[in-house]
Amino acid sequence: MQPLILTISLVVMAVVALLFWRSVRAASKPPQQENVGKRRTQLIWGLVVFGVFISIASLREWPHAIASGEDAIVVNVTGGQWWWEIDTEEVPLGKPVNFFVTTEDVNHGMGIYNSDMQLLVQVQAMPGYTNKVTYTFDEPGLYQVLCMEYCGVSHHDMTNEFNVVAVDQ
Amino acid sequence: MNYSYTPQSGAVKFTMILSGAVFALMMVLGLLMRAAQGEWLDIEPELFYQILTAHGAGMVGTAGLSGAAVMWYFLGRHIPLTKAVFWIFLSLFIAGVVFILGSIFVGGFAGGWTFLFPLPAMSGGLWEVGAAVSFMLGYTLIGVGFLIYYIEVGRQIIKRFGGLANALGWQLILGRKTDDIPPPAIVAAAAVVIFNSIAIVLGAAVLVVSIVNLLAPEFEVDALLAKNLIYFFGHVFINASIYMAVVAVYEIIPEYTGRPWKTTRIFAIAWNVVLIFVMAIYWHHLLQDTVLPAWMLITGQLVSYFSGIPLLAVTAFSLCVYIRGSNMKWDLTSALLVISIAGWSVGSIPASIDGMIAVNKVMHNTQWVPGHFHTYLLLGEVAMSFGFMAWLVRGKNIRTLSGLDKAAFITYVFGAVGFILVFLISGAASVPRRWAVHLPEWILQDRVGTIFAALVVLGTLGFVVRYVLGLIFENQASGDQISGDQNSGDMSSGGQPSLGQKA
Repeated sequence: MQPLILTISLVVMAVVALLFWRSVRAASKPPQQENVGKRRTQLIWGLVVFGVFISIASLREWPHAIASGEDAIVVNVTGGQWWWEIDTEEVPLGKPVNFFVTTEDVNHGMGIYNSDMQLLVQVQAMPGYTNKVTYTFDEPGLYQVLCMEYCGVSHHDMTNEFNVVAVDQ
Repeated sequence: MNYSYTPQSGAVKFTMILSGAVFALMMVLGLLMRAAQGEWLDIEPELFYQILTAHGAGMVGTAGLSGAAVMWYFLGRHIPLTKAVFWIFLSLFIAGVVFILGSIFVGGFAGGWTFLFPLPAMSGGLWEVGAAVSFMLGYTLIGVGFLIYYIEVGRQIIKRFGGLANALGWQLILGRKTDDIPPPAIVAAAAVVIFNSIAIVLGAAVLVVSIVNLLAPEFEVDALLAKNLIYFFGHVFINASIYMAVVAVYEIIPEYTGRPWKTTRIFAIAWNVVLIFVMAIYWHHLLQDTVLPAWMLITGQLVSYFSGIPLLAVTAFSLCVYIRGSNMKWDLTSALLVISIAGWSVGSIPASIDGMIAVNKVMHNTQWVPGHFHTYLLLGEVAMSFGFMAWLVRGKNIRTLSGLDKAAFITYVFGAVGFILVFLISGAASVPRRWAVHLPEWILQDRVGTIFAALVVLGTLGFVVRYVLGLIFENQASGDQISGDQNSGDMSSGGQPSLGQKA
């Protein structure tokens, strides 16, 4: 997902930069008669329509939906300065896992990384609250939990791991 | 009405020396952090996180300070402002900085510029309660200074325009006839006075309860409420710094294009939209706090996207229209001011994309985040401030970019673009932000980022030294007056803008 996000971002950023560059280049050219108001209105409506479309497309399926089927597994994760406690060492492959995440002291962020150190999902850990996030693992192997919210001098050492294993139906 | 003088240019010029110097110093701290992550420097995590805290607080504070100086300067053309208020504001700011620096480099405070509750009270033995209290008192002093500043600006705007609604252009929006259209600087100032005053009051509230909690731990604070207040305050404050500094673009660019930046109906609508959106957008910092009601998270996503429309379709679009066919001349001032709107606009793209909940799940608190905010700071607010500094010492004439100016400009922009791209690429590679120690596979990116950071520092030093030398030799500045040229407009600089040229 991240390479796609990066590519889209860079392309759109380049387009915006290019529009500025073209205007700068056009500074020394004779002024052209154009209906500025009409073009601006078109731009505004274009951005609004695109925004409505992308918002509906990205929110139609609620990104924070929690799995509720019989297959769903609950894993409790507690953070503290500077450790993660996970109530299991093994998580089943192919089943939705509901991570219930909290902390005993300050704010932390639970980020789950695969063996290629790619971030798969994250959620904040907050004192007094339990944040929930669902993820279904489709590859067996060793996964790491890293802290994503600055939490003090050993923030970068706050890691743990668990295994995703295939289980019999 | 325009005032033909800017009686407080001395105070503003002094403030910009401070701003330039602190920007440079904070960038050096940023360079040190990138070099440490790249293992070119050996910095203990304890010191790294102190530097991180100083860098964040210093950059945000200085962005606010320089933005406030820019706005104060140009408001002096339209409303009378009490000189003593600016000095009180500046004195409180400097006093606050002393408290903050003392808390970090004497007391060892390393709770981050966001002082996220309850981290300041739980240092793991790294700092004492007194250091955390000192840090928050420093913030409080700076906040009080800003409030006094906004009260004066708001008071004078109301006195002159008969109310903040008039200053926000409601007459235009409602289609009523009026001969007293507020200039863009006033519209911007009216909006900033409202939203940043609210932010600072709420920021003060969370600072006070955090201080009470530090001194009396049995006084409990709800962590979710504190987080909401902190991010509301922090997000609005840093946005306000850009919205204050953009006044430099409204007031200076017309000198180069010969086309006045007008308050139109769409301009007024855009600023009123900004006024609302800027206060509703902060939830995009909390998209991974799933205990928040869904409507807050959805609002965070929607406003992240739609708040880009006033920027892109009004400010950026207008600038491009004003530039085209204007035959404008390029010097350091105009180049920096134009790049500042371009950088701000470009930086809004990765910010909006990260504001989508589904994307935020894999991008939040990675280096993607410093990637996007450095875009609209380094190539946005900071570039506006440097452009304003260049204009202050420009003299009466617009000159073309000299060799040294061009070198500093290219070094700065090239460095900033490279520095930002490395952050974005690292974010896409899932490198977490705010880590003192990096994994071996991240080191190469850190080193490339360090090289680009060094270029940014070099360019900045060029701008700041040029500005200080310009102030010293200000009276000797000379050049040919461009006359009879459609570009010339008002050629006056800093101290002596002529009547009727702006608005």
